[in-house]
Amino acid sequence: MNPQGHEEALGLAAVALGRAARALERAERAEAAADHHELLAAKPGREFHARIAATHRRSAACHRSSASLQEAFARRTAEWTPGQGAEPRFMTGVAEACGTDSAALTLVDSGRNQLAVAVSDEQSRAAQELEYVLGEGPSRDAASAHRPVHASGPAIETRWPGYGRALASLGITSVAAVPLGTAAGCIGALAVFDPRPVLAEPADLAAVAEALTRIVLLGPDADPDLYGGTDHRATVQQAAGMLSARLGCPVDDALALIKARAFAGELSLDAVSLRILRGDPELD
Amino acid sequence: MTPEQRLADVFVALAGCTTDGPPDVAGTLEVLAHGSPSLLGVGAAAVVFAPDEYEAAQVAGSDPSVSRLEHDAVGWREGPGNDCRRTRTPPTQAALDGRSARQRWPHYAPRALGLGYARVVALPLRGHTGISGALVLFSHARQSVLTPGTLTLGQSMADFTAVTLERAREADRSRTLAAQLELALSSRIVIEQAKGVLAARLEMTVDDAFALLRTHARSRQRLVSVVAREVVEGHADPGLTGE
Repeated sequence: MNPQGHEEALGLAAVALGRAARALERAERAEAAADHHELLAAKPGREFHARIAATHRRSAACHRSSASLQEAFARRTAEWTPGQGAEPRFMTGVAEACGTDSAALTLVDSGRNQLAVAVSDEQSRAAQELEYVLGEGPSRDAASAHRPVHASGPAIETRWPGYGRALASLGITSVAAVPLGTAAGCIGALAVFDPRPVLAEPADLAAVAEALTRIVLLGPDADPDLYGGTDHRATVQQAAGMLSARLGCPVDDALALIKARAFAGELSLDAVSLRILRGDPELD
Repeated sequence: MTPEQRLADVFVALAGCTTDGPPDVAGTLEVLAHGSPSLLGVGAAAVVFAPDEYEAAQVAGSDPSVSRLEHDAVGWREGPGNDCRRTRTPPTQAALDGRSARQRWPHYAPRALGLGYARVVALPLRGHTGISGALVLFSHARQSVLTPGTLTLGQSMADFTAVTLERAREADRSRTLAAQLELALSSRIVIEQAKGVLAARLEMTVDDAFALLRTHARSRQRLVSVVAREVVEGHADPGLTGE
């Protein structure tokens, strides 16, 4: 056992518990405001108070949902023994709240280009990488059309020919994604793979996505880095920079070459990128 | 144009349907201030929007003199608009030459009388999160007291405006937060790419490349991400890239 690692984990758990407590306080304040406006709405001619109450209820639900995500992460992190099993991820609790083991969060820029991802497990990591390499899939569609996407069985391959075939080889038979929407647009998507049918009502997914967007990713107590769990694909971007300097091409072209190489060779992006960083000349 | 058509036009404009994209605050205030006098049969109208105490109030009037009056009223903390935002009392039509108006509003009442108005009433802008401002209506002496029907119509216009204004502010806030997140994430990407470019050019490790990038940016008091973008786009200081 590594005592320093254990101390760090307890520190992260304490931060998460602090965020959970603040979210619960905000939820309670919003619920009190909703109660107050519901009372006022009972009087005739005061119907607008019902709208105010509904807005507060929705905020309260987001705060409560983010509090339980923070608590779940705090519990896992506090119970974790460094060196035994993988370090707990915030996304594990997100997946659990969506009724699955595999969930992936994708953040995009205003041009719909992927900026970062966060995943709950190896399956969702592999699925998300497919989407990044092939440039098609449910998260991309949910973010650009700003609406939920769902496909299962053969429909996956019909909708996304390349992605669908590769997804089937991972053993995934069902996928759903919802946009991370704000009042002004969309910052990404939340995707779940093979959700358990009973739990994964589309409404649950949308509620988790709203809590993630409003409380966890944006807002006063936000941590878009998800306790270090967000993957910025540092190795891939370094390799793209290096390849662009060697070939004298734009960095976006170098990135496309790396993706093509990974797809053709059935290698992970990291494996291809590490070869480039080590100076292997095969791509030059 | 019939009164019904004029009313419909004002509601369409208030909903932000006449502008591209989400509604903006200033335009919405102008629509309400300019639409109110003819629809409600009053001499003039002004809107004061002050959603929280830390931001300057925004004012729009159906003519420049009432705009100035309501702007000054915010500073004096006087007038019916101020009272209805602060005390949340139900709207009452006040006679500007009455004793109570002169006592409560020592600066406001004489100025409004001087502009030729005899009565004033303020209707709250009631949004989802509470009262965010007021619609102030001014009547001349020859105009009779406003009917309950007129006040109800005015209140509907004020409530509708309040919700549009909240949407406009919410959209502004979301845009700002999303832009900050996008900038932070894309800065990380471009810094990693620049590390790779420098490592290839100067034949060093990516860690050494980052140290060089950071030192270069700091010594020139520039952001690492800005220098990194120049490196990636191929127009960085030749002293850094060894060209």
